[in-house]
Amino acid sequence: MMRWLGLFCRLAVGGVFVFASWDKLLHPAAFAAAVDHYHLVPYPLLHPMAYALPLLELITGTALILGLCRRGAALIAGCLTVVFMIAIGSALIRGLDITCGCFHTDGGHAVGISLLVRDLVLLVMCWPPLWLADAGPRVPFLCKKD
Amino acid sequence: MGARRQPGAGKVLRGLAMRRPLKEAGVLLVIALTATAASWALRPDRLPLRADPAFYRLELDAPLIDPGPALALYDEGQDLFVDTRPAPPGSLPTIPGAVPIRAASFDDDLLDLFDFLAPDDPVILFGDGNLVPVSNIAARLKERGYGNVRILRGGIKAWIKAQGPVTGTASGKEGS
Repeated sequence: MMRWLGLFCRLAVGGVFVFASWDKLLHPAAFAAAVDHYHLVPYPLLHPMAYALPLLELITGTALILGLCRRGAALIAGCLTVVFMIAIGSALIRGLDITCGCFHTDGGHAVGISLLVRDLVLLVMCWPPLWLADAGPRVPFLCKKD
Repeated sequence: MGARRQPGAGKVLRGLAMRRPLKEAGVLLVIALTATAASWALRPDRLPLRADPAFYRLELDAPLIDPGPALALYDEGQDLFVDTRPAPPGSLPTIPGAVPIRAASFDDDLLDLFDFLAPDDPVILFGDGNLVPVSNIAARLKERGYGNVRILRGGIKAWIKAQGPVTGTASGKEGS
């Protein structure tokens, strides 16, 4: 039972991260602008982050889906989700009327409580792949067996 | 009293259990950073490594549109492309079908379009890549009631880079 829960969470979180990375990878300039709207990232780091974050999401999501380094991937996914929650929370506190830039660089959801709830669910779903000894089948190479 | 407390077995196990996820996360981070460097180096349309604050702090009077989507709209033929560069029409390569609206002759240029440009018609402004003069034209168009205005990100240079069609000139070279 726990194995299937681990597999479900792994695939769900991995799928969300891969999906989230795609539009950002295709449009780094628009993603940099979306990140800039939060007024959190200093300008020298803005463009490197606009390139690095989508790739980190893609690699993390792919690793979770394939079951490679899934504990490390779940740890990164959890950390990224916490960072996203902090960014969204700070935008809410400061009353910024911006779109989140989570999945689409052109438009997308306005920053709000619902996004925090969504990220909280995502954070909880990072837990089983991180802690369960068995979280479903994986591609059998590259990482040591659990 | 004074005896040192041994760490509990659970604590040790938890510590050992965290070592592996941290190690794996480190591996994934290194892969991501390497891929980032490669992606940045290989992309033809890469952003400069250091962002220009002036670009991001600029409050534009119209939303930006990337050359790719603008090219698709051009193919659909619904949007009017407006050349905002100050040079006389025909002296520089431009987007075929684009009409000029220049800051210096704004009223006259707009008058020429008065018969066929309705206030709700979609308009895409472009310049040489400098956003400030284009944004000023957008602001003036908005004052006249033209609200459906967007600005081509990167101007004519980005358009040419995206392999958008341009008219030729006698010299065949693009001016500044």
